[in-house]
Amino acid sequence: MVHEAVAATHAVVTLDVGLPGIVWPWFVTMNMWAKSIGTGVIFMLFYLQKRHGDDPAVATLRFPVAALSIVFITIFLLFTLADLHQPFRMWHIFFYPHWTSPITIGAIMASVFMGLISGLAFFSLIKKDDAAYDKLLLWTMILAIPVTLYTAALLSMCTARELWQMPTETVQMMLAALLAGSATIILYDAVTGSKMKEESIRSMAIILGLAAATSFIIYMSEFIFGPMKAEEVTVILEAVKGHGEYATMFWVGQVFAYIVPMALVLLSIVNRSNGLLKLAALSAVVGLWVVKHVWLIIPQLLPMS
Amino acid sequence: MKLGFLVDLHLCMGCKGCEIACKVENEVPLSTWRLRVKYVDVGTFPETKRTFTPLRCNHCENAPCERICPVSALHYIENGIVNIDKERCIGCAGCVMACPYGAIYIDPETQTADKCTYCAHRIASSMMPACVVACPVEANIFGDLEDPTSNISKYIQVHQGDVQVRKPEKGTNPHHYYVGGGNVHLNPLASFRAEGYSLFDKLTTKMPVGGHH
Repeated sequence: MVHEAVAATHAVVTLDVGLPGIVWPWFVTMNMWAKSIGTGVIFMLFYLQKRHGDDPAVATLRFPVAALSIVFITIFLLFTLADLHQPFRMWHIFFYPHWTSPITIGAIMASVFMGLISGLAFFSLIKKDDAAYDKLLLWTMILAIPVTLYTAALLSMCTARELWQMPTETVQMMLAALLAGSATIILYDAVTGSKMKEESIRSMAIILGLAAATSFIIYMSEFIFGPMKAEEVTVILEAVKGHGEYATMFWVGQVFAYIVPMALVLLSIVNRSNGLLKLAALSAVVGLWVVKHVWLIIPQLLPMS
Repeated sequence: MKLGFLVDLHLCMGCKGCEIACKVENEVPLSTWRLRVKYVDVGTFPETKRTFTPLRCNHCENAPCERICPVSALHYIENGIVNIDKERCIGCAGCVMACPYGAIYIDPETQTADKCTYCAHRIASSMMPACVVACPVEANIFGDLEDPTSNISKYIQVHQGDVQVRKPEKGTNPHHYYVGGGNVHLNPLASFRAEGYSLFDKLTTKMPVGGHH
């Protein structure tokens, strides 16, 4: 344990250089948040078509989902680009690719994904060819999986920032996409006059509630048991425990992203209340940004040398 | 050939000559360091001791920075050095995040990643790295780890049992060794970082549009 080690050695740094601090700022949070929505809505449309294809309102989601995905994937790409210190060299990724890097793989997959969702928009808005749209949706949904997950690989390759572990981050990225996707569909339906059938919306509510519950359980598991596994995790989690620098933000995120949506989804199903469900969806989308931000920042506070 | 570094911490007296030589040789901008010497005070008065630890890139055999770089700006050269091509770097800072030793920084002037290259340009001209030349007590020992007759190989053989690397549990296989290092020297979490003892910690450098937070 760190405190014991420091207490045992009575060691204090008395001359050193300033450490670099936050290297990946909130732009990377925007990247992860927007990507969750951009791929999440694709997962949701695919599910709704398979499970609730008889709902006429689901058929009308083709273009809106493509448009939403394009908007949020564009936000994701723009913030990724803006975060580069040399954004005008972005083309180097495609001309000097290094295949062991998740950044390379992710950039190429995201570009192809952008092409596919543009194709979805083309088939729904210009060609008005539902059969072609639905065929393309299958491939888009399949590609959405690695596009959602590649950031987990990137985080896990950050050696010594042990809070970011590959299996956990992979699950959290997918849950974030399911949470954000279902919440966005619920909000879209609410904004456009609540046209979806009760069963369809109920499915979205259940996905939202389950994704929130599972994510919350994983975060709490890491919060409680993580420090027992690695010295680095102990130090990192100090930032969100007690009077830690990010403790308030951490709990605000957990409450808005998970606890409130879980409770409101449950109440909305019991009371058949769409109003509560809208609140749950809004809370989840806002809270997810905060959760992602805290989890991105705190490992960067760890002194590495 | 696999070039490596060894620092005998019994000899280092914290003069920072290596740090300055590196700065001058490589034109390292203000507020950034390829090599630095960290002072850590240990114990309670009057039983106290000051330790000095030169910290630079470890030129790992299994380098996370090389693996994560999307454009191969960080790459191995034949002699085992992990070199950097600043013209190719896109400034994603993936390497900064991936390095478990905090040895990589974003150069505020070029807005690209930078780090110690073991003075690859000097080695190409059969010269020793600047820090080795500057060290007044020959605490920095540099050479070919695959040559059993090199100074570094002999030093490692003589000091077997007292040769360490930083964070061996990370599996990076550093080509940078320390003799006489303890937990306080090599583990950043074993010492408390108090406010007010850092050089240039208030300087701000040009950041990407997102800034710090």
